[in-house]
Amino acid sequence: MKVGLIANPASGKDIRRIVAHGSVFDNQEKVRMVRRILTGLREAGVEEVLFMPDSYAIVERALLDLPADRRPPSIEPLVYWQHNTQEDTVRAAELLEEAGAAVMIVLGGDGTARAACRGSRNLPILALSTGTNNVFPVMTEATVAGLAAGILASGALPMDKGCYEADILEILVNGEVRDLALVDVAVAREAFVGSRAVWDMDRISALFLARCKADSIGLSAIGGQIVHCAPDSGTGLALDLQGPAQRTVRAAIAPGLFVSAGIASHSIMHKGETFAVEQSGVLALDGERDLVLHKKDTACVRLALRGVQVVDVPKTLEAARTRTLFARQIG
Amino acid sequence: MMQTDKTVLLDMFRTMNKIRFFESEVQKFFAAGQIPGFVHLYLGEEAVATGVCAALGKSDMITSTHRGHGHCLAKGGDLNLMMAEIFGRLDGYCKGKGGSMHIADFNIGILGANGIVGGGGPLSVGAALSCQYKGNKDVAVCFFGDGASNQGTTQESLNLASAWKLPLVFVNENNGYAISLAQRKAMAVTDIADRAAAYDMPGVVVDGNDVLAVYEAAQQAVERAREGQGPSLIECKTYRWRGHFEGDACVYRSEEELAEWKAKDPIPRFARQLVDREVATQAELDAITNEVAEAVAAAVRFAEQSPYPSEEHLVEDVYA
Repeated sequence: MKVGLIANPASGKDIRRIVAHGSVFDNQEKVRMVRRILTGLREAGVEEVLFMPDSYAIVERALLDLPADRRPPSIEPLVYWQHNTQEDTVRAAELLEEAGAAVMIVLGGDGTARAACRGSRNLPILALSTGTNNVFPVMTEATVAGLAAGILASGALPMDKGCYEADILEILVNGEVRDLALVDVAVAREAFVGSRAVWDMDRISALFLARCKADSIGLSAIGGQIVHCAPDSGTGLALDLQGPAQRTVRAAIAPGLFVSAGIASHSIMHKGETFAVEQSGVLALDGERDLVLHKKDTACVRLALRGVQVVDVPKTLEAARTRTLFARQIG
Repeated sequence: MMQTDKTVLLDMFRTMNKIRFFESEVQKFFAAGQIPGFVHLYLGEEAVATGVCAALGKSDMITSTHRGHGHCLAKGGDLNLMMAEIFGRLDGYCKGKGGSMHIADFNIGILGANGIVGGGGPLSVGAALSCQYKGNKDVAVCFFGDGASNQGTTQESLNLASAWKLPLVFVNENNGYAISLAQRKAMAVTDIADRAAAYDMPGVVVDGNDVLAVYEAAQQAVERAREGQGPSLIECKTYRWRGHFEGDACVYRSEEELAEWKAKDPIPRFARQLVDREVATQAELDAITNEVAEAVAAAVRFAEQSPYPSEEHLVEDVYA
């Protein structure tokens, strides 16, 4: 009954605070959230937590102000060399899987959750929002999130009673899976990664979405004005933004930032079906420019045959209620 | 997002190399006892000054720090005059009487390196207020370190800049150490960008060893300032390769930490990107590197050939 904990000290601080109206998500709030997660895990009977060490010492700071009887008995850092990059999260998730964690709780935005899933596509993930555009991570009180993860990790509730399989996108370069995205892939007419974020739709020629809905934020909000693809629907959406526009969509692609996007055509993506990336440039994965494509590269995107297991907090706690895990009849 | 043409990109590569060669020469001549006073080298941090100043025009203004050579060079400071000043020679920017920490060139918006930690903040507020008053669309940039971020002057400057919506960009160079004090030992909150929220201004963190990330953030913050939307704070995470000052034994940090950061050297990293993306050939980059090396060598010769100020220069340019 080990639970993994990854809290990204860099989430919620990128350029979208200047180019849009993103909030600064300060690390002390992440510290407070970790405290609440740990109390939830303790309540669920979790005995061991393994966590990613980080430059801000988020978990260590959380422990300074959390009595021993309010947290799991064993809370230990993963041991590896930190580079203070996204790869730290990837490595942490790998190590959590190797160590036998049952669930990983991830604090960050879409980018952080993606990095964790790059490290482990097998561990169920509970992603809590501390980022900018948060489509994959949920805004849920950390206390009950910890409780939900703990119930599943401790075996009090079978994993399949609290999880669903979320569709994800795989990016293939020259025939091999190079990367993945949890929500969206954008083809950007850019030469460089730069500050990573995406906010200028004139620079985007195509979008691939693993999920989309009308009340979304970020690039998937564009597709969300056309169709609704639930996270576990087994379908996604491909949008061509390069040809002559057949319709215009207005959507919020960042906090406080509405843009218009001209859509030439759209196609429903089915699992395993590949869609070619028509030009070189930079692929933005879950809202962050990340993967550079060279002229000689051939690339495509597909909805993966197998997604990732996501802890559904309401579903878990509702199942716990029906099994009266936290309610006892008196007398 | 980023509109980059080859000229701008190669100019950035040139500037980074200019700073690298310049500082390496200063290091060498200081060790040989040919440079008086103190020098604080910018080696390893070249991407910050370069990326920020590439987003500025000639009439925009900067305030600098005690580690100011990189800022001055990136803003267009004259190699010969800078080297001569650091050598303490009459042909230097301050006629050899100011040295490393007092280089200024008002004609190109360099309001001065500054020996006072946190001294640049109030100057930059004044500069930005003058831009706002004149309505000329110019902006000011305040470079400051993680140590300076704890000074009252810096916090007061952040506050006033935001209260008056001044065209000002605060650029924090967070190299992790205030002289010998590790940031984590003295600061409760180690992301300086987090403090921006307290002053109702956007604060962002960028990789200070990635010149394009710095440039893009600076472009956006400068544009925001020019449009009258007020100040921003950009925190650039970086590292100084040398000690706080030349002669610092650096007993407060490990060799492993230094090696980790040297592996993130911003110059070869940028060179790889330029070649990889077919912006330039390696031969073109080599030609720029050689050209800059020769220009810096010429600056050393210029400095060495310049006389020291004599006694009659002692009381010239003294105002109080």
